[in-house]
Amino acid sequence: MTYLILNGLANGLILGVIYAMIGVSLSLLYGVLQVKNFAHGEFLIAGAYFCYVLYNAFDLHPLLALPLAFLCFMAFGWLLNNLVMPRLQRSDDPMLASLLVMYGVSLMLAASMLLLFEADFRSLDFSFQPISMKVGILYLPTARLVAMGVTVAILLALAWFLYFTLPGKAIRASIMNRDAVQIVGVNINRLSAAAFALSIGLAGASGVMVSMVFPSFNPFVGVDYTLIGFIVVVLGGLGNPMGAILGGIIFGLAEQMSIVFLPQTMAPIIGFSIMILVIFFRPNGLLGKARGT
Amino acid sequence: MATDSRDDSAIAAIRNRIWFTVMAVIVAALALVPVLGTSLSFSFYLMLWITMATGLNIIAGFTGYMPLGYVAFYGIGAFATAILTKMFGVPVYVSILVGGVCGVLLSLLFAPTLKLKGIYFAIVSLGLAIICRLVIVNLPESWAGGSYGINLGLSISPVVTFYYMLAVMVAALLTITWLAQSRLGKALRAIRDDDQAAEVMGVNVVGTRLKAWMLSALFGALAGGVEAWYTNIIDPESAFQFLVTAKTVIYAIAGGLGTVTGPVIGAIVMVWVDDLIWQRFPIFNLFLLGLAIILLILFLPRGIVGSIIQRKPSWRRYIL
Repeated sequence: MTYLILNGLANGLILGVIYAMIGVSLSLLYGVLQVKNFAHGEFLIAGAYFCYVLYNAFDLHPLLALPLAFLCFMAFGWLLNNLVMPRLQRSDDPMLASLLVMYGVSLMLAASMLLLFEADFRSLDFSFQPISMKVGILYLPTARLVAMGVTVAILLALAWFLYFTLPGKAIRASIMNRDAVQIVGVNINRLSAAAFALSIGLAGASGVMVSMVFPSFNPFVGVDYTLIGFIVVVLGGLGNPMGAILGGIIFGLAEQMSIVFLPQTMAPIIGFSIMILVIFFRPNGLLGKARGT
Repeated sequence: MATDSRDDSAIAAIRNRIWFTVMAVIVAALALVPVLGTSLSFSFYLMLWITMATGLNIIAGFTGYMPLGYVAFYGIGAFATAILTKMFGVPVYVSILVGGVCGVLLSLLFAPTLKLKGIYFAIVSLGLAIICRLVIVNLPESWAGGSYGINLGLSISPVVTFYYMLAVMVAALLTITWLAQSRLGKALRAIRDDDQAAEVMGVNVVGTRLKAWMLSALFGALAGGVEAWYTNIIDPESAFQFLVTAKTVIYAIAGGLGTVTGPVIGAIVMVWVDDLIWQRFPIFNLFLLGLAIILLILFLPRGIVGSIIQRKPSWRRYIL
């Protein structure tokens, strides 16, 4: 039993870090642009397919596919920003409008992937040597450990970017006060495009990670990841990238621990219930600002 | 709306006459469908979506809440109807009504979420709909059929079901017509625009909102119940599918939230467009649906009726 609990904790932490990355990228887009990216999961699955194609066609190592996915998806994010943002900014209800526009994008992405790859579940036929490693008394799959290491590295790099570089500071400033940032002379449109690109780029990179860690994916599972992303972000507090990290780890641990104690199908119920409870007691999330409108 | 308080009864009468004429034409055309033998299924789903869009309009259009988990009511209506009919042998037309009551009970259970706002409400509502699906999947198979769902095993009479759906749709339309002009509707709009101001003016914010929420749930659940009867087979995956919420929201927005006519017109246009896309490009359907949504939100954010009112504000007096 102790072994199971420890195993649950370890896997919870590993998945939690990956959920955190999904949440952070979602949170960036929400924080800067107030865009509710309902297509986040589809971008992520597209990232998984990206890695799958590169591996099968060119025998490219998933860890090399990662930076490529990041760059390609960034370019796509920048393009999408220029296509939809000018009109979205002017709408009466940007919250609903962005959500629906991105839902439309998610349908288009899912349909495109369906056309290209059909509805079957695919899996990345790649394994690290050795397949599992001994950590303390636990045996953990190498792929998961590698994914965790890479994700932590990406999150640290992101934290450095957000807290110690000028563009990063500008992004955080625009999350806090969009108008004031413009007074200081920041070009908000360029900043928004950068945040959009960064967010979608990170989604693509998360997808590569997901293809390594989770056994299989298909064009329709994107929405599950979108939901995980939203839960994580709402748990941690909207518009607070660091909150998303906390939210991701809590969600990962809760999910994996409930698999230890409860039937597997119940695990998602626990995840959602935690989110709902947190929102009721702290309406702005764990690290959100105190309520005040 | 400022004009509402100054409405003089003559204009209200003209407006009502226009709306009731439109409604009568729609209802008459639909009532004749089984007699003329035109596409029954298309018209059935048209009525279903009009009902759903109108139900959503009560909570989203009149109070400003966007329940992304609206499908929960539809699903619970469908499952309550199926379980009562199959397990307890209740006549199906009674089961549907009980299913509607179940939807209202569920809305009472979810009532605390109404204290949330904006995106928090939307996401929690979506989460609750998913929990509903998971709970039903995890129920013993002898109760709710597990993930395989339930075969109602009724001898199907599509025409009877068709008229039942028509009745539910008419009930939804009459309810929202009444609501828009009643004290309750005015209170709801006041809360939507500024809940604190409404409270100061003596509106019972919590109670009023709850009424709208229950009404909205009732019609979602009734629509789900009739659909379960019509298809005779339901499963949790499709009964709680997010696409149901998405279509409801999009159809309502396509017409224009907050007006009585908007969601009706929106549903008629969009169901027709959806059907056309489906026929011409079966594989591309989902792709084109996505594109249609994006174009709609970017270029016609207030919907058809909303945009007409925006361009010709004076027409507001004639459009309910």
